[in-house]
Amino acid sequence: MSLALIDVTVLLAGSTIADVAILPRSRPPLARLFAGKPVSSLRSVLLRLFSLCSAAHEVAFLSAFDAARNETAPPEVRKARIDAVIAERLTELLRGFFVGRLTLGGSSAAAVRALMRATTVLGGGIAERREAVLQIREALTALGGAGGAQQTWPGSVLAAHLSGLDGDALLLPAVEQSFLTAADDLDVVLRLLADGPAFSDAPDLDGQIPETGVWARQAWHAPASPLVAGPADRLKARSAEVALLCTRLETDETAADVGVVASYWLGPGRGAAAVECARGRLYHVVEIDGDRIARFEFLAPTEWNFHARGPIVRSLRGSALGPGRQGRDAVRALVDCFDPCVGVSLGFREVGHA
Amino acid sequence: MCLAIPAEVTRLLPDDTAVVSIDGVSKEISVALIENLAVGDYVIIHVGYALTKIDPEEARRTLELLRELSTEGQGVVQ
Repeated sequence: MSLALIDVTVLLAGSTIADVAILPRSRPPLARLFAGKPVSSLRSVLLRLFSLCSAAHEVAFLSAFDAARNETAPPEVRKARIDAVIAERLTELLRGFFVGRLTLGGSSAAAVRALMRATTVLGGGIAERREAVLQIREALTALGGAGGAQQTWPGSVLAAHLSGLDGDALLLPAVEQSFLTAADDLDVVLRLLADGPAFSDAPDLDGQIPETGVWARQAWHAPASPLVAGPADRLKARSAEVALLCTRLETDETAADVGVVASYWLGPGRGAAAVECARGRLYHVVEIDGDRIARFEFLAPTEWNFHARGPIVRSLRGSALGPGRQGRDAVRALVDCFDPCVGVSLGFREVGHA
Repeated sequence: MCLAIPAEVTRLLPDDTAVVSIDGVSKEISVALIENLAVGDYVIIHVGYALTKIDPEEARRTLELLRELSTEGQGVVQ
């Protein structure tokens, strides 16, 4: 059983990245598996299959199903769904930040264990959530986070990790960036409905492949996003979002929740939903026949970011690598920044000198 | 896509590592994030780390589902 890794090969001409090849990968054939099944039986399938982002998939599925029936869930249900998505987003950002990126040993492993243990109760009531956020802040402090969005304690494991990513190990070219937003939702779900897997395997919007995820979200708030976004910039953006999400869950202030979950009625028996999860915007489209699924399509954020002509390829092509392992480590760090959840098999191949 | 795969712990190794069996295939992973792990436990693994312990029955159902998807899709989790 393979672990559904994405194969990314960096093609080098001397110290310059000539190109990046991303192999298309198989996706679970959920459309075939779901067709004809009762809606009630599919929730558990999604939870089991996508255990890392189960809340996002569950909320997307339920919201799309509501939309297909042309119904709107009560406000308290919609709020609970958004809370679940935000709690899971925080969990996945923290896990992606620390697990597999830092050397976990001794006190840092204990702190990360405490951090991840605290995230397991984020889905509770407001009192439990506040206690969990308190524990998360304590664990972050133990790991070297100074509590602020982009500050770290000097000498900490976190500071050492971030400082290792600054400098000239990877000199990225300036490239025009484009970002997926909630304003694109309707175009995306209509394309999903029209083209199905042909679209969800390699999506585009008028030929463009926008980026989605943390860096895209920070760009919504800072439209003058820099044209060069290295691994340190991206990890700092993730750190800033972690701080925002902690505050959101602690205060229950919902003003910034716009677009976290959106649903769309697409005609009789057809509905769609978009959910802003850790990796970016996740889409589900359902067509129902009574209480059974007649058709199911989904589009994961990964398909944009790891598109063969997508943001990773655009960012890396033309970059200059520093000597030795440092340059290659910086490429690995950059690729990891695009998605806190997927596993990537990264390789380098010489294709001749520039 | 971020599939997380259930695996059975078959051997505990030094330095917070362990050997797990994923549907018969052995793999060495880090178990630094899990306390009190024993041989025979099932864990969810992702990018080389055990993330959490899960109930063996739940693990069995998930593996069955992954096999069904593999048969349908011929290659997703082969």
